Amino acid sequence: MSEKFSPTLRIGDLSDFIAPSQACIVSLKGLKSSSSNPSANKPEVSTSNQQLKTEPVKISLKDCLACSGCVTSAETIMLEKQSLDEFLSNVNKGKPVIVSLSPQSRASLAVHFGISPLQVFKKLTTLFKSLGVKAVFDTSCSRDLALIETCNEFIAWYKKSQMNDDERCNTSLPMLSSACPGWICYAEKQLGSYILPYISSVKSPQQTIGAIVKNLICQQMDLRPDEVYHVTVMPCYDKKLEASRDDFVFQVESEAKASENEGIKITEVDSVLTSGEVLELIQLKGVDFKALEESPLDRMLTNVTEEGELYGVCGSSGGYAETVFRYAAKLLFGKEIKGPLDFRTIRNSDFREVTLEVEGKTVLKFALCYGFRNLQNIVRKIKIGKCDYHFLEIMACPSGCLNGGGQIKPKPGQSAKDLIQLLETVYMENVLVADPFSNPFVKRLYDEWLEQPGSEKAKRHMHTEYHPVVKSITAQLHNW
Amino acid sequence: MELEDGRFELREIQKLEGHTDRVWSLAWNPVTGVAGIPYVFASCSGDKTVRIWEQSPSTASWECKAVLEDTHTRTVRSCAWSPSGKLLATGSFDATTAIWENVGGDYECVSTLEGHENEVKSVSWNASGTLLATCARDKTVWIWEGEQGNEFDCVAVLQGHTQDVKMVQWHPTMDILFSCSYDNTIKVWADEGGDDDWACVQTLGEPNNCAGFLVSGHSSTVWALSFNHSGDKMVTCSDDLTLKIWGVDTISAQSANGYAPWRHLCTISGYHDRTIFSVHWSREDIIASGAADDAIRFFVENKDKDGLVDGPLYKLLMKEEKAHDMDVNSVQWSPGEKRLLASASDDGTIKIWELAPVSC
Ligand code: SF4
Repeated sequence: MSEKFSPTLRIGDLSDFIAPSQACIVSLKGLKSSSSNPSANKPEVSTSNQQLKTEPVKISLKDCLACSGCVTSAETIMLEKQSLDEFLSNVNKGKPVIVSLSPQSRASLAVHFGISPLQVFKKLTTLFKSLGVKAVFDTSCSRDLALIETCNEFIAWYKKSQMNDDERCNTSLPMLSSACPGWICYAEKQLGSYILPYISSVKSPQQTIGAIVKNLICQQMDLRPDEVYHVTVMPCYDKKLEASRDDFVFQVESEAKASENEGIKITEVDSVLTSGEVLELIQLKGVDFKALEESPLDRMLTNVTEEGELYGVCGSSGGYAETVFRYAAKLLFGKEIKGPLDFRTIRNSDFREVTLEVEGKTVLKFALCYGFRNLQNIVRKIKIGKCDYHFLEIMACPSGCLNGGGQIKPKPGQSAKDLIQLLETVYMENVLVADPFSNPFVKRLYDEWLEQPGSEKAKRHMHTEYHPVVKSITAQLHNW
Repeated sequence: MELEDGRFELREIQKLEGHTDRVWSLAWNPVTGVAGIPYVFASCSGDKTVRIWEQSPSTASWECKAVLEDTHTRTVRSCAWSPSGKLLATGSFDATTAIWENVGGDYECVSTLEGHENEVKSVSWNASGTLLATCARDKTVWIWEGEQGNEFDCVAVLQGHTQDVKMVQWHPTMDILFSCSYDNTIKVWADEGGDDDWACVQTLGEPNNCAGFLVSGHSSTVWALSFNHSGDKMVTCSDDLTLKIWGVDTISAQSANGYAPWRHLCTISGYHDRTIFSVHWSREDIIASGAADDAIRFFVENKDKDGLVDGPLYKLLMKEEKAHDMDVNSVQWSPGEKRLLASASDDGTIKIWELAPVSC
């Protein structure tokens, strides 16, 4: 059930998905509020015991994103069914479907089937293509682009923070990574305007690949972006919420109906399947996955060398801290760091920091900050102005993305810890470590389209905005 | 002990007025009332304030020494002193927990802990004062660790209760946390790996437990819990009109490095006819309860069991009808030598009582 969302989202009133959660005011619109307190009870008594005895109410993901009543309250089961059914009905209808796979989902399937992530990738390509899918891409490729944009943005913010100028600059450090929608949703709904300026404006790898596919690849493949159905395969349900944000819909001029001034609305990512849902699909189709043939990969948007080897950055949650750290060390201080970065565990294994010292002074202080409790501490430090980090890679899930709520569950007898360890190992199995800046596909994207990191074009397509969700009075009242 | 013969009377020492709304909770400063230090306690209220009360050494009467206001924006639901008596934690419906420090008689808010999504219901310090637990209507229990300079770091966010968590309470000697909830259960939390790896190690009264446990659990909201002095027994009180006594085998608890399973020992029923909001176990093993029927009751172990082998394990020592004009929300025994009890009520007042032998 709602366990599938990241724990950060789950912290909210996510406990019941059939009846909307107690504070869900979207669902109560138009319904008589049934929450009058039993007279014998104190006003302190929570009202949630009286389940709404009305018909189940449908709440769209968009309603849920816009509402301040709780962190989220999505009908998970319905969502699940919808995504897979919708995906199948779209392929069956003969719509041009494009699938983009996350490396975390590949690792999850690889561990489940006891094969390598590369094999998973090739077999999934076979499976999807046999269903009629046009192309299967890799979000580590778009992630390299997102990483470059983040590096570039960080340098700008860092320089700004160093000029302690008279006008108070409105951007200051730390920079908080933006790739995790569980964290973004929490920041917008629970934390609000004081934290949002610290969040990097760069889109997540999922939305980056969405923008690339719908803006560029469709044309190159001779497909119309408004017809293409783009599906990503992700480690969490939170990515579904992300894909449904209004910020990730753009308009193009309609050529056919030039007379009408309404443009056509294009959604970057039309649907998200979780790793678990892909397993379901495999089971549904009754294929012997391990025995499935292996197809060549679509090289257009996939981190694969001519020799057929996968490559990408280290770091199973996207490698944001690591990549930006290396880049900043080199660019700002001329230090090229060889070998692995020395991340030191601070309070627990989900909070690790790395620093760069120049002449005895700490000039860069970065950290990985995963899971709700660590996130809390950082957010509080920022609020009281006592956070001395320059960059934080924030992920809502403890252990990060390999532990996403949409990943395949541990096998009977397997502990969650063991599974994570296995996933960590498999994640980089036969994957060449490569600098995003030397990714030929990304280079080409800049040359042919985005010009350079941080350009106007890049800003338009690869960056986004965050909006504090204002607490509505109804939501407040409901708290009694 | 001479408690058994029941010749006791409850003397009302003083009625304290000042709060302008219902008084939710009380906490005695644990280092007062001994060695000539005058008694101090804190009270918190629906009027959004916390009041600090002190007994005047000369007149022995109680006076309000400080009003802590303008920090919490809604009801202050709970308060707790750190074991050293230096810090006071207050939890509020405004979703925050404030930490106050006594600086030469002035109380300064030195830290505000945010994170709970909605109303904080209870706060509790562990025996060493290094950890603070909070719980809220958001169904979660949080553990915070005090750092230098009154900074607090969140070390755990514990999810497990399915409803509003009413109270958190640390074990009096071990770092084991207990919480009770609107979901009718009591949960026991321990740091199993010793690496901030907090998890629920036991649920008392889980509805889907085996039949034996089903009978022993509370059948409605568990409002409060309290430990006996040595920490091998615990009492819980509930909306189901009962008190329940739970016990743990101390020897196995010590060998198991803290946690050993708790067992239901007995249920005290038939004495209350309205919700029991508060319960507190004294050093002398007198259990006080405060309930929605405005009364305060005292229970003691039934040593002679009325001559029966399986007679009731606890019996009513005495009952103070109309202790307050409205619900009694909190009863707390004082530290120190005297047998003092403070009670807080919906009627906006606090009363100080002394349980004294009848002088005949
Ligand atoms: S940490 Fe990763 S898997 Fe978890 S919610 Fe965030 S993006 Fe999804």
